[in-house]
Amino acid sequence: MPALPLDELQFTEKDSLTGKMKTLPALHPEKKTERSFVLYKPPPKARGDRALLEEFWERAKFVADDLEWLLTLPHDKFWCQVIFDETLQKCLDSYLRHAPRKFDTVADLPPEVNDLQRRLHRNVFLTFLRMSTHKESKDHFITPSVFGEILYNNFLFDIPKILDLCVLFGKGNGPLLHKMIENIFTQQPSYFSDLDETVPTVLQVLSSILHTCGLQCEGASSTPQKLEERIRLTPGDIPLQELKDIVLYLCDTCITLWAFLDVFPLACQTFQKHDFCYRLAAFYELVVPELEAAIKKRQREDSSLLSDLWKRLSHSRKKMVEVFHMIINQLCLQPILESSCDNIQPYIEDFLQIFTSVLQERRFLRDYDELFPVADDVSLLQQASSTLDETRTAYILQGVDSAWEGVDRRKKTAHSLPL
Amino acid sequence: MALPRLTGALRSFSNVTKQDDYSEESADLTNKRTKLQGEQLNSGLTWKKIVSFVDENSAKENKQSILEDLKTILQASKQIVGSENGQEAIESGAVFLFKTFHTKECVGHEETKAIKQMFGPFPSSSATEACEATYRIASHFTEDQLAGLLQMTEDKNDDRKLCFGKNIAFSFDMYDLDHFEELPVNGEMDEQKGISLDF
Repeated sequence: MPALPLDELQFTEKDSLTGKMKTLPALHPEKKTERSFVLYKPPPKARGDRALLEEFWERAKFVADDLEWLLTLPHDKFWCQVIFDETLQKCLDSYLRHAPRKFDTVADLPPEVNDLQRRLHRNVFLTFLRMSTHKESKDHFITPSVFGEILYNNFLFDIPKILDLCVLFGKGNGPLLHKMIENIFTQQPSYFSDLDETVPTVLQVLSSILHTCGLQCEGASSTPQKLEERIRLTPGDIPLQELKDIVLYLCDTCITLWAFLDVFPLACQTFQKHDFCYRLAAFYELVVPELEAAIKKRQREDSSLLSDLWKRLSHSRKKMVEVFHMIINQLCLQPILESSCDNIQPYIEDFLQIFTSVLQERRFLRDYDELFPVADDVSLLQQASSTLDETRTAYILQGVDSAWEGVDRRKKTAHSLPL
Repeated sequence: MALPRLTGALRSFSNVTKQDDYSEESADLTNKRTKLQGEQLNSGLTWKKIVSFVDENSAKENKQSILEDLKTILQASKQIVGSENGQEAIESGAVFLFKTFHTKECVGHEETKAIKQMFGPFPSSSATEACEATYRIASHFTEDQLAGLLQMTEDKNDDRKLCFGKNIAFSFDMYDLDHFEELPVNGEMDEQKGISLDF
């Protein structure tokens, strides 16, 4: 007899209170074990603080052990725990929020603490892997549509969690993570709607960075400015600590977006629905030169901090340029390479429109062209389409040349991005 | 202070996440310890079983000293667990100490952490006394005898189940900052343009 999906299974067992037989669905709150998962907190910033280190160790050990226990549970018990144990959901969320990224500045931890953190890191990934799998084996599976509902209605995955997963696990486990996220979005298309709803918040984050820097961008002045609000003219006036926060925020934002699109390129479409390329280029044009100037201006202050900020800003620049390229590649170049000649016109049009919209962003265009020469892409379009509007491509190439005016293309400077 | 994160902003300002309240979670660690102590109480090995094991398996001439050592462990447990928690909790604590120390000559880092995880802060002298007493008791028995006794502690439900993902190749590699050129010296970029060494 074929096995039933978990969502249709029922178990009959003796009620411990009444002694009578009762039938319950396999997925039922009564089948949850009272485990009391604790929250994960980040490791202490200074190694010398023994009390904090002890607390970190204790928490991390509880979480690592509890997740190990969870992973050994049979399929039905695992899902009851995941769905009905709120402490588990909070525990997993706290890890995603607070787990140290490799690009964070963290103190060296004793080897045994590092080992524990690694064990925990693996267990968290395996837990999310199991949660993103609706068919664990031939006999253990959930109806795909019900699986999608379970994930979505219980917030087992949401967009911020998915972004965190990408930044924490994407580097070494990209292919597996891609399958996980693809499966989640396939079984529950509402995640695409959520992503669509999230992009404006991402754009708000970019606006808030500009605002903190005292730079305004299009649409940012929709609310009237308070009379008493202090107006900063340049980021050079911002206190060093605040400048540090801005650069850290920018760096985290750029790496997280990049990691997500790298693991799940299908999301590019949703981002571009919000004119993301144009907005990203405009943001880059405003914020990068100002932050560079603000860091260079402070040569007499904490030099190691400034050097670190410079490194993070350079990395953020590279990631922004790469995000732009990922979207162009996913939405225009790849379809052109893969399609027959008859179908490529909309993709060429998108390419031309996107580049025409960013021609005034000279600094961005230079940095982009250095990493991903625009002429190469235009050449690809020329090869692919015999009816390409040469006037428009010439206009774009001229715009790129104009962006390089006064700057030696071949000269590697500190402004250059490494190729 | 939490580091500024994109996903932090998305959690706070978008409508796509569950708005969890974490304010009640401050006591989660204490609750967890209490829960573990409760589980310890219900584990297979009890203090009575240890006492009767000692009584049945020790030579007559050692019995008196072993009973003294058992009292020492119980007393140490009282100090560590706290006398206000009742005899049952104290005996359960004593079992935990016996299990922790039966192969140890002294209290090491791991044992300290294990006790602290179970009971919270504790007087180190009590742990030392318990460790020494347990070691003396253990020296009267063979490894096989002790293994037989401690097998009672195994979780009845623990049938060595397979852990999900055991065979999955996992990478610990994470995204890091790329290497970039150093921060240029003040004004270097602008000044270089106008300076020529070609006289």
